[in-house]
Amino acid sequence: MNGNCRGPEHISRRALLKGALATTAGVAVANWGGLFSSQTIAAEAQKRGKRCILLWMNGGASQIDTFDMKPGRPTGGPFREIKTKVPGYHMCEYLPRMAVIADRLGIIRSMRTQSPDHPEGIYQMHTCYKQSERMPHPELGAMIAKYLGQADADLPSFVRMGPTGNTGSGYLGPRHEPFSIDRNGKLPSFTSPYLLPAREERRNELLLAMEAEAKQASAADVYESHRVAKERAWRLLRAKSLFDTTKEWPSHEPLYGASEFGRGCFLARKLVEAGVPFVEVGQDNYDSHADNFVCHKANMQVLDPAWSGLLIDLERTGQLEDTLVVWMGEVGRTPTINNRAGRDHFIKGWTVVLAGGGIKGGVVYGSTDADGSDVAENPVSEGDLFATIYTTLGINPRVKHFVGTRPVWATPEGSQPVKELLA
Amino acid sequence: MNFEKATLLWSMPWDADWVSAVSFIGGKHVAAGNNRGEILLWELPDAPETAPAEAAQAPSDADKGEKPLHSAPPPARQFVGHSNVINRLVSAEDRWLISASNDHTIRYWDLNAPADASAKVILNARAIDEAARSKSSGRKAPPPLAAEIRTQPAAKIIEGQEWIVGLALTHDQSALIAGDDAGTVTIYDRAAGTEKKRWQIKGWAYAVALAPDQKQAVASERFPLVFDSDKHVGLKLWDATTGTMQHDLSKDFKDMKIGAAAYSPDGKVLAIGRGGEADGNNGKVFLIDPATGKKQREFTPGHLNGLTDLCFHPDGQHLLSSGRDTVVRVWNLADGKLVKELGKPRGGQFKDWIHAISLSPDGSRLATADMAGFVHVWEFGS
Amino acid sequence: MRTPALLPAPVSKLSPLLAGRAFFIACIAQSLVATVALAGNPGAESPQSLRQLIDTQVRAGWDRENLKGEAQADDATFLRRVYLDLVGTIPTHDEARQFLEDKDAGKRATLVERLLADSRFAQQQATLWDLLLFSRNPPNSEATRKRDGFRQWLTAKFSANVPVDRWVRELLLAEEDGSELFYVQFQNKPEDLTEAFSRIFLGTQLQCARCHDHPNADLEQKDFYGMAGFFVRLVTLPQATEGTGDKQTKRYRIGEKATGEVLFAGNMKELKPGNKGEPVKPKFLGGDPLDEPPPPKDFKEPEVKTGTKSLPKPAFSRKEKLAEWTTAATNPFFARAVVNRTWSQFMGRGIVHPVDNLGAGNQPTLPALLDALAQEFVAHQFDLKWLIREIVNSQTYQLGSSGTARDALPKHFERARIRPLSAEEIMAALQVACGHDPAEKGSDSATPEYFVRYFGTPMNGHGDFQGSLSEHLFLNNSSNVRAFLRRKNGNLADTVLNSQEPWEQRVDRMFLSVLTRLPTGSEREKFVTYLQRDPGPGADPDAVIEEALWVLVNLSEFRFNH
Repeated sequence: MNGNCRGPEHISRRALLKGALATTAGVAVANWGGLFSSQTIAAEAQKRGKRCILLWMNGGASQIDTFDMKPGRPTGGPFREIKTKVPGYHMCEYLPRMAVIADRLGIIRSMRTQSPDHPEGIYQMHTCYKQSERMPHPELGAMIAKYLGQADADLPSFVRMGPTGNTGSGYLGPRHEPFSIDRNGKLPSFTSPYLLPAREERRNELLLAMEAEAKQASAADVYESHRVAKERAWRLLRAKSLFDTTKEWPSHEPLYGASEFGRGCFLARKLVEAGVPFVEVGQDNYDSHADNFVCHKANMQVLDPAWSGLLIDLERTGQLEDTLVVWMGEVGRTPTINNRAGRDHFIKGWTVVLAGGGIKGGVVYGSTDADGSDVAENPVSEGDLFATIYTTLGINPRVKHFVGTRPVWATPEGSQPVKELLA
Repeated sequence: MNFEKATLLWSMPWDADWVSAVSFIGGKHVAAGNNRGEILLWELPDAPETAPAEAAQAPSDADKGEKPLHSAPPPARQFVGHSNVINRLVSAEDRWLISASNDHTIRYWDLNAPADASAKVILNARAIDEAARSKSSGRKAPPPLAAEIRTQPAAKIIEGQEWIVGLALTHDQSALIAGDDAGTVTIYDRAAGTEKKRWQIKGWAYAVALAPDQKQAVASERFPLVFDSDKHVGLKLWDATTGTMQHDLSKDFKDMKIGAAAYSPDGKVLAIGRGGEADGNNGKVFLIDPATGKKQREFTPGHLNGLTDLCFHPDGQHLLSSGRDTVVRVWNLADGKLVKELGKPRGGQFKDWIHAISLSPDGSRLATADMAGFVHVWEFGS
Repeated sequence: MRTPALLPAPVSKLSPLLAGRAFFIACIAQSLVATVALAGNPGAESPQSLRQLIDTQVRAGWDRENLKGEAQADDATFLRRVYLDLVGTIPTHDEARQFLEDKDAGKRATLVERLLADSRFAQQQATLWDLLLFSRNPPNSEATRKRDGFRQWLTAKFSANVPVDRWVRELLLAEEDGSELFYVQFQNKPEDLTEAFSRIFLGTQLQCARCHDHPNADLEQKDFYGMAGFFVRLVTLPQATEGTGDKQTKRYRIGEKATGEVLFAGNMKELKPGNKGEPVKPKFLGGDPLDEPPPPKDFKEPEVKTGTKSLPKPAFSRKEKLAEWTTAATNPFFARAVVNRTWSQFMGRGIVHPVDNLGAGNQPTLPALLDALAQEFVAHQFDLKWLIREIVNSQTYQLGSSGTARDALPKHFERARIRPLSAEEIMAALQVACGHDPAEKGSDSATPEYFVRYFGTPMNGHGDFQGSLSEHLFLNNSSNVRAFLRRKNGNLADTVLNSQEPWEQRVDRMFLSVLTRLPTGSEREKFVTYLQRDPGPGADPDAVIEEALWVLVNLSEFRFNH
């Protein structure tokens, strides 16, 4: 898919019928209309085709050691602060390149969330809902794939690599399931078919015909999931050259840093450029219950060039305004340092950072108290965060679906987008 | 030396932060550093007072056999200047203390220099602060342990670029070797403080040591990512005169973060220790033949969750190691047997660390840095 | 001997917290009170056999939920399903044809008996339990990844139909050769062992209670550490290594010290240096503290060094006490955990779901049925084969699975479940389907490892099936899979190509071999057309057969057990 073709004429008829255009659903809802000065801005967002990249800090990055420093406090630790492009705001010395572009960032320091353990935390930070048996919530990428994706594109609408969430597409169904590729961005093995294209096409047609008949007999989601995955594997093979970054990587390595994660960020940029609306890149591993400081120092030395490289590269290619980059993990980390020189899980006041995609840069929203033991001002819930993300992407945060006869919304009632971050 | 008969003489309290480094200076002085960059100096009394019955200064849950014999002397001096974690302390000529810190500097402190300024230090400030904060639990704040001390600045400062984590002296104290997180290993003339040689290693330097003849150095490497394929650990022997690698021992110690290293006084044995957090009882000491790089022996049991420090005993026959399990072990070099274990594990699932150890020049006393906020001094029988 | 039980109060009416507590207590109480009327001796003429009770209870459940159950599955569906569930593979073409043509009204029950007696039944159960006990990536993998000795030990138990309480007891005593590997996974890690043990044998997830008191359940950190106390004295003692290189097997023995305690220092987040940590005495979960005599006054614990090969048996063995308590008929968790898990093997979900979380807040869909299954299992001396026989012969198990419903694991068992085949099953099914000798480890280097890698864990974090890119690329392009489909002496492709039968019958053979059913009229037509099309000049006539077989093994119908 050519990166330039994002106009409405390429949106499939089926998507139109399903009301996939966020504007159609969104503007009709009263509590959403107030945010936009004009109804057409949302329409513009859809037309421009916004995209989202999620940088997932697997294990939960420590806010006190990155964006919410507490110098001189007993909980402060050995990292020191440096000045940033935002006057009066300081960051960790080991994110120097990010400090230089801090005026592109929307930093939320007052996340106050509900799930302190890994599985529940990963679930909730990917869906904004608490994990429960009864309701299969879709993850962020599935929702974005549905509303900003093109159903018949060769490339999948939801790609992920490295350690990421694994919640799935939930009630949105198998069509919006994630596509996982190797952590270093490479496609898995076996990407060369052994049949000639003509023969393979004939063979695949027979399969499709058989499956169409089977679908009449059984509507189970799992079959659909299997079928969809197979069809998309075929389509992906047609576009597989995009995933091969061997030729371009050497010239981008100085910018992104010579690391697996850096290379993944570069691939993410290429994918969104080619029209993939959501890419998740995971970085391992921030779960430093022991030896927190050496762990974070090494992680930051990988993160700093990769993340700043991504933002700079997006800006340079004119894509930053349309590409939202979200930086978060499943939990924050405790101010208290335990007897393993580590920090444990912490959900009472931590940091998520947004950039691009229409987010106002240079904004530091919310704060924690002197030791970082709780939010001092402007707590932000998972729902509020997701409402902010959806709103800036032009998706109605209260878009409704049905599971059986039960209605379910993309964010819980009462979720408020952070207005200070929306341009 | 009778290691079996070891007595805990003093437990000097100092809980401002983790006590992270310790060194004897001569036989009468002990210096210790903490995570805040503070360094205190104690003078060990010749005629010590026996400890009072309530043992107010012992570790809060007094373990049997861990009550110090004597009352802790107050600190005499503070060495002021560092602003971040003290990683290592070494001493020379019974007079110089040399420190390596996360504030990117190595500093020299002169025991003979005047300590002109004075200050007051509360040795249990953290305990008081915590009791005040959890008033609801009904815990009473302990009475403050105050000390009037003299302070002095550093005699010399060597500026570096990154956290200086590894620091060691040669046996004759004439050369100093340092390693930092920029991956630089540097050898200094200790007395002059001038650089003699430097070279780069892969990743960050962790433990460094220089052989007595100054011809060989050991440096362990790390880039401690977790799971990511760019993570790195290594262990190499270097020609210290040219800065070229002699032996790469990384394969023999695969996946191990080597946190401590030292050459025996005669240079024939190199001891290394596996640092943390090493799963289970795997914080082991390994003995290597420095000429060939071959592993000769390993000491078991390893420290639970990792080894923190090790040092050779001046008698040339024993080696001591400390770990994240609150104990110090004395080993017989010839047969690898455990001779004595000092201290008892303290803590829940994870124990407190003895962060560092130091022997007095005659090897009769041992000082340990206890992360719970103490400097302990043990004496071995004769 | 039947152990009576009380049906728990309608717990759904209580608040979640109370319900959790009530349920917890009910688990303990159930071993002590009055009974549900059930058959006394197995096999005797009975007022209601277990299979009938299952059907009655399940139907009552449908009525309560206003659901209508699916019709019975047809013979072909049942045949394939029961083969996969009992012996981990599909029937051969001849076995399928014979069953479908058999006119005997009792043929399904007869088939079940035959499969239960098949040696592959024991292997299938052993594979399932092995995967449960070790998972795909066991800890201490250097010692535990290759575990033929353990698998042999476990398979022998199932082959002899050793009662579950007996072999679990032997596993927990770890004295028989091969059995010790379970504990070896958790060398020096009694806390990790506690988590695994309670999840597997007590159906209780304790891991949250490791770091903090559980907010909803009745589980506190003290409960966790009380259980860990049973494991803290176990020591893994490496024995002599045998063989060299790839064939090298390390042997181990589990020793038990006479002293040693777990230290507990409170909520993980509040741990500070200087906290000593209090020793916690062992306490049975939901029960009493262990009654333990103190060691003799001048007792000296023998030292464990490298090279220590064995330890003297302690005067008082916590390991023995734990093994006894776990497998006792009166244990409130064990029988329920085992029957719930076995139920889920065949029905898709446990009566309590997730299957290892029988604790607080997790209500059973059919509480009376779960109680009855547990009681009867105990009454039948933990005879797993008997239990499986009853489940598989119930009408509930034999329901159809197709229809308009979308979820694969119906909560009220109103349809049969649809589950993906495991990697082992896919490989076995491919071998049988394409007429390859199952004794062959795999042709053209199609090792089981490849299948595990590409088909191993196709679930999302919620436990639902999620089709992955890798498995489709593997199926589409790998020579390993192709090796099954291409013509080779005696295999299916070869048979079809050599046959002189009309194409319609050859297509029937293909469908019966791969999908265990005959094609519909329209399917047959499509395939015959495909196979008869002129391959073109210079093209390989074998190719169309290979392609047609490829289509069959790539259908979603093949991928799942339905």
